[in-house]
Amino acid sequence: MEKKKNSVMNIVCIILPVIAVLCIAIGWIAFSTANPRLMPGPVEVFQRFIRTFTNPVARVILPGHIWASLRRVLIGLIFAWIIGIGLGVLVGWNKKVRAVLGSVLELLRPIPPIAWIPLVIMWFGIGEFSKVFIVFIGTIFGLIVNTSAGIKLVDKINIDVGKIFGGNQRQILTEIVVPTALPSIFAGIRTSVSSGWTTVVAAEMLGAKAGLGSLVTKGWQGNDMALVLVAVISIAAIGALLSVLLSKLEKVVCPWNQI
Amino acid sequence: MAGADLKLLGTDYQIWKKKQRREAGQYYLLCLVGIFCFFAIWQIAVTAGLANERLLPSPLQVFETIIEKFYQKEPDGNTMLVNICASLQVALSGFLLAVVIGIPLGLVMGWFRLAEAFFRPIFELVRPVPPIAWIPLVVVWFGIGLQAKALIIFFSAFVPCVINSYTGIQLTNRTYINVARTFGASETEIFRKVGIPSSLPMVFAGVRVALGNSWSTLVAAEMLAATAGLGYMIQQGRTLARPDLVIAGMVVIGAIGAVLSGILSYIEKRLIKGQKNESN
Amino acid sequence: MESNMKPKLEVKNITKTFFSDKGAFQAVEDVSFQIREGEFLVLLGPGRCGKSVLLNIISGLLEQTSGAVYFNGQEIHGVNPEISMVFQKTAVMPFKTVQQNVELGLKFAGMDKKKRAEISEHYINLVGLKGFEKSYPPQLSGGMKQRVGIARAYATNPEVLIMDEPFGQLDAQTRYSMQNEILRISAEEKKTVLFVTNNIEEACSLGDRIVLLSACPARVKEIYDLNYLPKPRDIVSKEFLDIRQKISDNTDLAL
Repeated sequence: MEKKKNSVMNIVCIILPVIAVLCIAIGWIAFSTANPRLMPGPVEVFQRFIRTFTNPVARVILPGHIWASLRRVLIGLIFAWIIGIGLGVLVGWNKKVRAVLGSVLELLRPIPPIAWIPLVIMWFGIGEFSKVFIVFIGTIFGLIVNTSAGIKLVDKINIDVGKIFGGNQRQILTEIVVPTALPSIFAGIRTSVSSGWTTVVAAEMLGAKAGLGSLVTKGWQGNDMALVLVAVISIAAIGALLSVLLSKLEKVVCPWNQI
Repeated sequence: MAGADLKLLGTDYQIWKKKQRREAGQYYLLCLVGIFCFFAIWQIAVTAGLANERLLPSPLQVFETIIEKFYQKEPDGNTMLVNICASLQVALSGFLLAVVIGIPLGLVMGWFRLAEAFFRPIFELVRPVPPIAWIPLVVVWFGIGLQAKALIIFFSAFVPCVINSYTGIQLTNRTYINVARTFGASETEIFRKVGIPSSLPMVFAGVRVALGNSWSTLVAAEMLAATAGLGYMIQQGRTLARPDLVIAGMVVIGAIGAVLSGILSYIEKRLIKGQKNESN
Repeated sequence: MESNMKPKLEVKNITKTFFSDKGAFQAVEDVSFQIREGEFLVLLGPGRCGKSVLLNIISGLLEQTSGAVYFNGQEIHGVNPEISMVFQKTAVMPFKTVQQNVELGLKFAGMDKKKRAEISEHYINLVGLKGFEKSYPPQLSGGMKQRVGIARAYATNPEVLIMDEPFGQLDAQTRYSMQNEILRISAEEKKTVLFVTNNIEEACSLGDRIVLLSACPARVKEIYDLNYLPKPRDIVSKEFLDIRQKISDNTDLAL
């Protein structure tokens, strides 16, 4: 009897997700047929998706827009990673640096990444550099904070091991402290990727010639809701893809953590 | 003999305390030096003409603008207080809605298999969309009123609330559940008295992220679609080429964000402490 | 025999007081003893008392409030390359393979890769971890992790080895086999060993001499010479049980 109940439960658990996805699909179709001006239907969105390849928007086809956004995020992130993790290690390791730099960082950190956008646009216009810079400045504080917290949390016994085995300060830092803090550093990297992606989309929505965010704005202003949806779905898909890639990367960088 | 020892220790202790105090004093001094240098370099860079004053106003000028904005409506049409209230109203209503709906949903999803099977796929489909990407859709549906913006904030705060309460309750120690079961607790009782309390720290971490997201998304929402609020103010500052107003807005946004997160920490401390006392 | 009696390491009138916001706390009070060359000396003390503090002072990780540590007749301060340590919580680096962990001290000393590999191979074989060179510690059991810690300490070829309750975290079964292992290893690699434990039986089966410490603050209560019992010792023989009882009667209760 118990067994039978269990197998019924298993079947229900397989069917329910299908029902859930169907619910969304049906809801979408129902809403779009009732209010075609507010929401395009799935078929329309798909057709619009195909048309982004044949009829380029702003002379760029969809993959071009995706690449424009991705490139900005990646360049900004690489600079933020190098400088942010470097500074984070310094702030976490050296008490004096922590006192001087940490206080300034605490001052700047509560400013949300998106709030930097207007200022950066005023300074550098709406070109490539300003987008990259927004990603950089929007993600660097989180990186510094995560890294320095990870460094500070390193168990004292690990540092003792380094001292006993004759390591100097630099060796202890590079061979023991930084690798020990790597999981928290990686947590910072993961946050920086998702917030960097959001920030670049926001920056593009506020003004850009190409990029997924600019597609959203163009669709919005041109009353082309299907285009908005194509862009939104692409943004979500790329965001999800980035986070999957990142967990794969973490497995390569921290192999001991996966056991 | 013992008395003499204690006395000796006493003087050593005084020396230690003095040293401790001196070190703490030095630390705070260095903090102040850091902050002072930051503002000094900024101010000097502007007054010495190293930075273009039309792009980067001096800190004193920003400070003046903040004060001025409290009684002057120009150039964006609202005083600072009106902007702050407008922003807080939007952000908090969206945030609270997300907390009220997201946490129970996450807890139920993490505890009951059927709920997980149904809600998880829906949630996973919606989750990767950055909240600001919802803005055009929501604006087309609801206009640019309070409702629309609150809904966008809701999306941004909803995701971390659900994820953290979902994982938090799934991490409940199996032993506690078995103990409760041995003592004859019903399933709903275990959920209420074991599952929920043990997930609280994770839930709070989620609420913290949610608050940060709400405040950050609010700025984006107000920059794209609003007629009042701090985000609107800095956006106006940008179009009118008033960098002092932009930076003033950033300062106020940062300060309010910090205050909100401080309040949350206080509530968290009180709640989790209460839980500890209960278990003792 | 005469040369065997000269002290390798001497601890003289060591006292350590900690300060905190709550006040002063004395962990070690006026402790003196000597360790002879090639000797396996056990420091036996109850529960959580100043033993680790004392070890950290000898190894140079902590500074004593008063007193001195002499190594080969010279007073020493700070860490010393000739004194190595096996840590209580194993403290092997999870992100380094077994081999990289064992090579840690050699790498810090700037030794080249090939020579390091030779030495680490020898000590990995010695502790019985052959075939696990490329494994990461999270894949290993508690006993195996502590073997890595032991190999790491031996690899730098120090004159003195300090072992801080190395088997404290292991289950009883593994603990027994590790005690036998440490007897075998210390017989193969003649070194001066300072071994700390709170387990009387472990102390009696390993120690050439046993320094019995009191409860907090740690003071020397008595020093027992067990050299008349040949190793490996029969832990149910009358002599063994007698000395065990004697020490046990003299031990402070740990709470």
